[in-house]
Amino acid sequence: MGRQRRRVDRAAGAGSGTLPEAIAALSRALPCGPSPETFRRAKFDRPEAAPALWQLLFRVLSPVSEAGATAPPAPEAQARLVKAALRSEGYPRPALAQLPEDGSRGSRELLLALSWLLARRPLLERLLARTRVRLGDEVAVCECEDLAFGRANTGLPALGLGSELHVDIRHVQWLMGKLRFQWRNLVSTQQEQCALLSKIHLYTWGCHSDQSLGHLSATETEVLRDPEGSQQLLQVLEQENAHLAATVEWRRRELVFWQWMDTVLDTCPQQAPDAGSQPVFLPKIPDHRAGQWELVAGEMQALEEELRAAAEPRRAAWEAQVRGQSRDPAWSSALRALQETVGQELAALRWAWDQGRDPAQPHGLYRLVRSEPGAPAGRGLQAAEVIGALRSKEACLEAALRQLQGQCRRELARLMGALPGFVWISSPVR
Amino acid sequence: MLPADCSRRLVAELRGALDACAERQRQLERSLRVSRRLLRAWEPAATPAAEPTLGPEAKGEHLSPGEPRPPAFPRSCPRAWPAPSREQRPGASARFLAFSACTPSSQDLKELELLTQALEKAARVRKGISKAGGDKAPVPKSGSTVTPVTTTPSHLQAPGQADGRVSETSPPRGICQTKAPTKGHPERRLLSSEDRISWGRGARATRPGPGLRDQQTAPPAAQQAPEAFTLKEKGTLLQLPMAFRKAASQNSRLWAQISSTQTSDSADATTTAKTQFLQKMQTASGPHGPGLSAAEVEAELGRLQEACSLLRLRMEEEVAAAPVDWKQELRCLFTLEGLQALAGQCLCRLQELRAAVAEQQLGPWPVGGSRSTLSPCGAGADPARGPRLLLYSSTQELQTLVALRLQVAMLTQQIHLEKVLMAELLPLVHTQGRWGPRELSLCRAVHSLLCDAGERFPTVLQDEPTG
Repeated sequence: MGRQRRRVDRAAGAGSGTLPEAIAALSRALPCGPSPETFRRAKFDRPEAAPALWQLLFRVLSPVSEAGATAPPAPEAQARLVKAALRSEGYPRPALAQLPEDGSRGSRELLLALSWLLARRPLLERLLARTRVRLGDEVAVCECEDLAFGRANTGLPALGLGSELHVDIRHVQWLMGKLRFQWRNLVSTQQEQCALLSKIHLYTWGCHSDQSLGHLSATETEVLRDPEGSQQLLQVLEQENAHLAATVEWRRRELVFWQWMDTVLDTCPQQAPDAGSQPVFLPKIPDHRAGQWELVAGEMQALEEELRAAAEPRRAAWEAQVRGQSRDPAWSSALRALQETVGQELAALRWAWDQGRDPAQPHGLYRLVRSEPGAPAGRGLQAAEVIGALRSKEACLEAALRQLQGQCRRELARLMGALPGFVWISSPVR
Repeated sequence: MLPADCSRRLVAELRGALDACAERQRQLERSLRVSRRLLRAWEPAATPAAEPTLGPEAKGEHLSPGEPRPPAFPRSCPRAWPAPSREQRPGASARFLAFSACTPSSQDLKELELLTQALEKAARVRKGISKAGGDKAPVPKSGSTVTPVTTTPSHLQAPGQADGRVSETSPPRGICQTKAPTKGHPERRLLSSEDRISWGRGARATRPGPGLRDQQTAPPAAQQAPEAFTLKEKGTLLQLPMAFRKAASQNSRLWAQISSTQTSDSADATTTAKTQFLQKMQTASGPHGPGLSAAEVEAELGRLQEACSLLRLRMEEEVAAAPVDWKQELRCLFTLEGLQALAGQCLCRLQELRAAVAEQQLGPWPVGGSRSTLSPCGAGADPARGPRLLLYSSTQELQTLVALRLQVAMLTQQIHLEKVLMAELLPLVHTQGRWGPRELSLCRAVHSLLCDAGERFPTVLQDEPTG
């Protein structure tokens, strides 16, 4: 320990603080963080440090719902998940994959894995953000939440289908109808909740100590209604504050930690890069994502075909038209200008999906605050704006859906029309 | 019957959609329960019927010696919580008075009488107004509802208050308590909130409130007995407990600090140290190339999907437009060719990604949701850009907003399902051999699912050859 400190102090001239403090801050900031001693033992690959690190990595890498689970799975299952998750993340070192899953050794490798995760992104902040205490009535204005709902449920295909291997189309129709009904239910429940929240905000007007908010949220009112029950909320809040303070301290001191990690990496024995003998960990579960690849690839290919079919005749017609005309400089400059404009438009289009998200667009969770209509803007997002954006998005999506449905209608009509002896009367288009 | 793998995929997809919907519903219902409970009359935390002797202690009484206690109502026993069986009807006010420990003064008794009369009158008026049946039956209950709730705000506000303020309470009492520690501002606020409340509704028992407020010394026991604490009437008088407020403000301060440190460290020693470490990790493991994470792949897949729809939309626009002169025609041509090139590029990227995934053996995310630390929504990536507020001005507006959100989510799901159904069912229809009644009914079903989302059906008539 002393040796390390001296080394670090020599190395880090302007280093902010000492290594033990940095490690202590890190261990305080992590949820179920191991003691600083564990970190030091891990550098020397001591086996007793391994279980704590496996557990920590499991906690960090498992999705939100699992992180709060009451009974963590067995150590072997934890280890397997950690390995799989790190591989998913693209962890570069193969040594991790070769560690035994009973948690008996590998602390140095696990320490490296943890530091790798810490270096790539602001891990601590994200860990805290995902379990952040929400004191207000939060509403999501982006669609990430929807995707998360969807993804969480199509992660693993329903393996227990067994007896239902062949279903009738009527079962599919029934499921669709059930889905439609559930959505309607959801909408009406949501409307009721909004009405109630609005009332709560109205009735508690003027109570909040924070003037910019003006009224209490349902969570805060609940604190007042049930003080004993809300002691837990207070505790969680204070715990979060402790973690946050530790994170702030860690940010100040982390330089020495990274210098130390360099030395840890140096103590690892050099590994001969093994070419292709990657052991396969996961059993080959049918990957739902394979279906998604197919879908997207198929769509894209079909689109390209259609574009070609649309462009080629036009090109031919144009060539024929232009053949007779004279080529003067004005003409070619006009041509070039046109090409540039079109190029810019297409670049903008590409940017629209490349960026993923329009940064100006609102994103994430917002706290609902009731305010007078004439209130000065700048306090926050106005509901009217969001409604406008949502309406246009809705129109876009409806157009897309109609287009798809129209496509199906045409195709089926064509198919059925070709059959002799039957008259096909399609349903009226809405 | 549908073929096995087709069935499996369809059912899995639909079940997934149903589960997602059910999950939303569950979360919503949880919040709905909370909201409903808040808007009803607030129940006491410890019901009086539970323990007869629990009353005063459980309610966090702050009686200190030396202060004139509220007088014991003659009908109740001085110290003990009156047994429920005895104290059904008239006992409501008595419960409040059961805190007493010393003998009442005559002045207290007089004031008490006045208050009791006022309250009883209020109760009568209230009975006329409220639709709650039961003569005095709500009274004991509501009496007991008031006590703990009204005790608690003052209890929480004066946690360490040792100046022996009697804390039996009513909201006006609560007002007194709040005024004392924090001056000025709350006072103003409470006054204005009082203006806003329609105190004139009936003969409100809190009418003695203003009178009470002036007396900072121990007033007689509050007689809010007949009125339950409802958010509607007294919501504006609430105040969050001090400990809570402190914790909340510290919380927002720390988050702001964190976000500022995040944005500030762009190219300093720490970042370079981190990049160096990452590079070292990469090279130490051999030439496997930069690792793509499953999350990144999925994000790119999503982007390509979006690209597909955007390109298609644009194509529809161009194809539908009728060019009037050569310029527009040319423009249309260039656009279409440009779109074609983009589509080709996207396809290439798709193949590349697929190859990379296969090579790296990136499995799917091991446990269902990718709602993990490592692929956050904007809320996670930018944890504290100040408190982000969404301002709405009326219930209607809020409901519209939320309904539109759900509609967008539903449409997204519907589009996805439509694509899945098209991919699975259209090939089936194409490969039909003979056209008997079963195949026809399959066709009808497929048509209704794909073209009308299952709401309408086409008709098939068999054209019998005449003769």
